[in-house]
Amino acid sequence: MSTDVVIRPGRAHVAGDRPHRRPRPKRDRGRVLRLYVPLGLYLVFTLVPFYWMLVFAVRPSGSTTPVPWPITFEHFETVWNDIGYAVFFRNSVIVGVWSLLATTVLAVMGGYALSRFRFRGRTLFMVVLLCTQFIPGAMLLIPLFTIFKTLGLINNLGSLIVADTVFNLPLSVILMSGFIAAVPFTVEEAAMVDGCTRLRAFLAVVLPQLRPGLIAVGSFAFIHTWNNFLFALMFVSRQDSFTIPVGLSYTIGEYSADFGALAAGGVVAAVPVVCVFAVVQRYLVHGISAGAVKG
Amino acid sequence: MKRTTAWAAVAVLAVAVAGCGSGSDPGSGESGKTTITFWDNNGGTRTPIYQELIKRFEAANPTIHVEYVGIPIASVQQKYDTAIAGGDTPDVGGVTTSYLANLVGQQALEPADDWFGKSAVNGKLAAPMLDSVRDTVPDGKLYLVPGTSNLDVVWYLKDKLPEAPKTWDEFFTDAHELTKAPDQYGYTIRGGAGSIFQVLAEMYAYSGVTEFFDASGKSTVNDPKNVEYLTKLAALYKKDTPEADVTNDFPKMVAAFGTGKIAMMHHNLGSYNDHVKAHGADKIGAFALPVGASGKRTIVANPVDGFAVFKGSEHKDAAWKFVEFLVSKESNSYWNQETGQIPANTEAQGDSWLTGLPHLKTAVDALNDPNTSVVSPPYYLPQFSSITKADTEPLFQKVLLGQMKPQEFLDTMAQKLTDAQAEWKKVHGG
Repeated sequence: MSTDVVIRPGRAHVAGDRPHRRPRPKRDRGRVLRLYVPLGLYLVFTLVPFYWMLVFAVRPSGSTTPVPWPITFEHFETVWNDIGYAVFFRNSVIVGVWSLLATTVLAVMGGYALSRFRFRGRTLFMVVLLCTQFIPGAMLLIPLFTIFKTLGLINNLGSLIVADTVFNLPLSVILMSGFIAAVPFTVEEAAMVDGCTRLRAFLAVVLPQLRPGLIAVGSFAFIHTWNNFLFALMFVSRQDSFTIPVGLSYTIGEYSADFGALAAGGVVAAVPVVCVFAVVQRYLVHGISAGAVKG
Repeated sequence: MKRTTAWAAVAVLAVAVAGCGSGSDPGSGESGKTTITFWDNNGGTRTPIYQELIKRFEAANPTIHVEYVGIPIASVQQKYDTAIAGGDTPDVGGVTTSYLANLVGQQALEPADDWFGKSAVNGKLAAPMLDSVRDTVPDGKLYLVPGTSNLDVVWYLKDKLPEAPKTWDEFFTDAHELTKAPDQYGYTIRGGAGSIFQVLAEMYAYSGVTEFFDASGKSTVNDPKNVEYLTKLAALYKKDTPEADVTNDFPKMVAAFGTGKIAMMHHNLGSYNDHVKAHGADKIGAFALPVGASGKRTIVANPVDGFAVFKGSEHKDAAWKFVEFLVSKESNSYWNQETGQIPANTEAQGDSWLTGLPHLKTAVDALNDPNTSVVSPPYYLPQFSSITKADTEPLFQKVLLGQMKPQEFLDTMAQKLTDAQAEWKKVHGG
């Protein structure tokens, strides 16, 4: 289905030529129907909830207009100052960034071992890693709580960083081993023949080629950590250590719901994730397909 | 470009490192002070109210520091269960009778009878609320000191319904007459999460049945009058209510009422502030669920919300002092005025703000009416929550959709409740 690029033979434009309008070919209409109409419909389907979120976030309480006018930022003030998003946002960034770094570094190390070394139990290890994905986080809450309590990590953002990293790691290691396997070992060997140690050879030759993989693994780790509600609530019992998902759940009380604040909180929570995706999406698509095909 | 990216990365890391330190400060209180932790079981909208009360408490008790933690209501039971299993409970926690038995079953709470007996608030808290708390646990002790109660009411828009219905017949007539095509509805049904409690409240108000179980321990849920009410209610669905009601939970229901397209909505006093925000205080009214054919008002008791001292607390006396402060006249009055609910402190019930709010006056009048009977749901049954949520909420949706007969639905629920009651009696006697 390669219909995206059509090169048509024709006269090249010469400087000074007046560009003249050619009648639009008939098949363009077909292309619009085949490509843009379904894409447009899909986009509307996907974006309508986001539109409603924006409308609720910026229109005054009690308004029922489908367009966000007049605009108010009172809900953003409520979530940022009254509910405490200023603190929650900072905590989410801290946990997200540290978890991203820890996951990526450990995934590279684990992935390298799995892709470059043949050892007894390697396949079993991979299967066990995969199996961990079937265990829901809620099942491990109490054991993890007890461990963190023994380590003095309860009420500390460290517990969230460790827990989220642990849960991010299995999939990240498997993905990363695929990326590393895609880089021929002979390249690394050549560097070692030229006098590099294994580490130096990895850093100089392999790591630069892992950029799409690092971005894919890192962004997954960040987004998963950013959205994790369960650990953020269970391992922390201090108001100044909660993260964004906990703050978001504050807007729905037992008997009342502040939809304006909920929507404004949703916008604040979604913006970093959307930004991350916007920046890394081209690497992400390439990274996922490379890891999947060559793993 | 590369240099900019590198600097951006360094900046993010610097923020992260700096912040991690501040976020991981140990939780000790200010030096020389006893620090107690208080978990609010409905964190969020109530947070500023507690912060104000804590400020007042600390000013009156300079040697005690209270650390407030707001727990989102949807996860509060799981949070308590995890904390109990991990041995890291707060000193004081907000608890309601709907999960009190579960906490007592895990031996997590300290009975407050001795403190309460010697306290200045003894004799000043509403007796029905105290009874409701004691009835919830097998040993009849006071594990929870009540702070507030709620009552089911029907909210309505005054411009659509000038006069509140007094009987169920008037209610059904109004629901029908206020429905106007294409999108004005006389009533909205809670068909999603939390539907069963509301249906129970309506059925018992209609039938006038005053006990949840008869003398032989059989559930009265499938009483013929209850079946009659449910049949009438199910007939309203899609005719005089929106079709989307089948999945209505309370936020959706309150939001729909906020659009002005629904004339009447059954909820409780707790959503008052949302309605005021949406319509303005002068445009909304509330009436207690109408009286049934028996002529006697019957009310299904809402869970009582209050405060409990946890057994794991190292500062139980300071914790009790805080609880005592929260249910004192001034604090209790302030808290309930801000949330629009009924104070547990009887002295606070006479405050002018309460009599000035018509919906609260309606509620207090209904509760204090000598003709009113209060039906206490069996919150003490460990299965009560699962029976009225996971087991029967989907079946109620089937009733609305016409896939299940009201009689069959109520027979199923009654059987489950009867079985649970028999099991409970076997263990606890009686």
